[in-house]
Amino acid sequence: MAAITAHERPAAARPRVGRFGAQDGAAYLFLAPWLAGFFLLTLGPTLGSLYLSFTHFDLLQAPRWNGLGNYIRMFTSDPRFYNALSVTFWYVGLSVPLKLVFALAIAMMLDQGLRGLSVYRALFYIPSLLGGSVAIAVLWRQIFGYNGLINEGLSVFGIDGPSWISNPQYSLVTLVVLRVWQFGSPMVIFLAGLRQIPQELYEAATIDGAGPVQRFFRITLPLLAPVVFFNLILQTIDAFKAFTPAFIVSGGTGGPVDSTLFYTLYLYQEGFAYFRMGYAAAMAWFLLTIIALFTALAFLTSRYWVYYGDEGR
Amino acid sequence: MTRNLSRRSTLALGAGLAAVSALPGAAFGQAAKRLRMTWWGGTERAKRTQDALQVYQKKNPGVQIDTETVGWGDYWTKLATQVAGGNAPDVIQMDYRYIFEYARRRSLKPLDEFMPNPLDIADFGAANIDGGRVDGKVFGVSMGVNSTCIFHNRTVLERLKINPPDLTTTWPQFAEIATAIAKAEGRRGFFGSTNAGFNEPALEVWVRQRGKALYTDEGKLAFARDDIAEWFDYWDQMRQKGGAVVGEIQALNRQTTETDMLSMGRAAITFAHSNQLVAWQAINKDKLGMTAIPGAKPGQYYKPSMLLSVSATTPQGQEAARIVNFISTDPDAGAVLGVERGVPPSKRMRDALLPKVDELGRAQIEYISAIANNVSKLPPPPPKGAGEIEQLLKRVYETVSLGTAKVPDAATTFMTEAQKALERA
Repeated sequence: MAAITAHERPAAARPRVGRFGAQDGAAYLFLAPWLAGFFLLTLGPTLGSLYLSFTHFDLLQAPRWNGLGNYIRMFTSDPRFYNALSVTFWYVGLSVPLKLVFALAIAMMLDQGLRGLSVYRALFYIPSLLGGSVAIAVLWRQIFGYNGLINEGLSVFGIDGPSWISNPQYSLVTLVVLRVWQFGSPMVIFLAGLRQIPQELYEAATIDGAGPVQRFFRITLPLLAPVVFFNLILQTIDAFKAFTPAFIVSGGTGGPVDSTLFYTLYLYQEGFAYFRMGYAAAMAWFLLTIIALFTALAFLTSRYWVYYGDEGR
Repeated sequence: MTRNLSRRSTLALGAGLAAVSALPGAAFGQAAKRLRMTWWGGTERAKRTQDALQVYQKKNPGVQIDTETVGWGDYWTKLATQVAGGNAPDVIQMDYRYIFEYARRRSLKPLDEFMPNPLDIADFGAANIDGGRVDGKVFGVSMGVNSTCIFHNRTVLERLKINPPDLTTTWPQFAEIATAIAKAEGRRGFFGSTNAGFNEPALEVWVRQRGKALYTDEGKLAFARDDIAEWFDYWDQMRQKGGAVVGEIQALNRQTTETDMLSMGRAAITFAHSNQLVAWQAINKDKLGMTAIPGAKPGQYYKPSMLLSVSATTPQGQEAARIVNFISTDPDAGAVLGVERGVPPSKRMRDALLPKVDELGRAQIEYISAIANNVSKLPPPPPKGAGEIEQLLKRVYETVSLGTAKVPDAATTFMTEAQKALERA
């Protein structure tokens, strides 16, 4: 705040700049740990990886310049790369909408003025806290395994279930289910958004004879659009970056038959199993581009469907 | 959000650790020798190795050895990262597959300068010393001799009254035995043998029995498409008859002792290495037996199961070499380590061990001498890219065992992709 005031003052107030300069210094001093972290641990390595993406680098020997070689291999002669892309797009395309719909549905249920709301909210939020962890992925492997909970349940009805996680037809679906199950954080945000919608609107609509479906599509959804937008962006980015579930459930292979080979998992294999760090860096930069494109797309289209309710200003 | 948090907490943790680690030095001020040793393996190995290092530290006050251990899969990732970061452990468990790569990149210390004192391995015999030699210099000391093998569940086979495979079992006979086991047991989800089509060491024996090899001295593929096609076909036929585990269940195997099909109670036979009998028996209640890979022809080889190397960057070369000497030759270490890493090549260690070796140890020692007619010479170390091909074999074979690809197509895919992997490496 002080810094902003300083800049707004006319140049005549020069003598005081020094004092504000000292305050700037104090601010930077307090920022220093974060800045050091940012430059040394985030920006530096990020730029370093951009350089590495144009090299051969196997960790043991110094990087050797390779020009566009990594990118050329990626786009022209690597079927596993395209497979990883396709697996990831399926995963994002299935899990993000399902998770948002699920989160919104639960949020609306909880918004009915239940008693003990905070307890339910906490209960539904728990999977979100646990979901990304290794323990849950291990648990998932047990539940969807050959002798897992699911098949035990099916056998009661005389159905002989497959080994879900090791059957290429179903393995990706089990990971989508794992993700949808962690609907807690978008749910909490939806719930807050629902609370913001003025009750008068519903009352007026009810008096005018609007049914629940109409109320949802004409009032809830339009007024919730900014929250949906926020959740959509966050969840999309998160889904693109997913790694742990596939790594643990497939034992790091992306198997069976590469059916759970997420982009990030393939990147990890190239970098840390086959020691092609240059190629892995190139893949990372391409992933960054994809995520940036999707986010930009969401922002560009948002003016057609997101209503912030402040146009009147 | 998460990144900010972790960054901050990392910094805080770092500062805290730095402060803590400064304490003992300031408090005691003594120049204790501190070294790190790393190895791959399961809990049984971790226990034995740590016990052996305790003995060493008791004998040598002032030396402290910190240990690191992970599974085989993560080991090479971790080690490569440590070496690249200039943070390599002083004493490193090495594999024949990787020693050339690490030695030629100058990440390991030549050990000749420490011989014979403190490192005295003259009683290993030339062949066992040469297994750790790269370009004329010794970079690794063998910790044990092993060979590939199959384990069978003796308890189950005795109950079913089926004769286990032995040194004279051919491949077709092996398939018959496996199929007979599955039929006799007649239980859903139980099979005769693990589905070893993905198993690279078993494939290597298969091609070597045909007078070929996995790789030539120049690091090219040394077998033909037909060899791999017949290999895939052999296991595919066996699976269809119930002799080998179906793909869907086999895919649950994570290449660890615990997730092996024999350990999981899904098969009566599995493919492994002879020294692993100790680890396998430790987690299996049923009695296990061991014999050669089928084929009844020379194809296996005696191999240094593991080697011990010293990092090129260690400031404590002398002490590291003493530790290597202790672990690989000292009878006191042998008494604790047993034959968990294979039969010790050191004569003085082996002689001290033989009289008091347990049943598992005896089985292993007997096995190693019994297969003399099934072994041929040590192959050249695999080229760079071989690790990727091992994974490729698993992936491509899975398409066969899960029924998503036909054998001839899978064989062609394997050859093309393997060539590519070798060119890339």
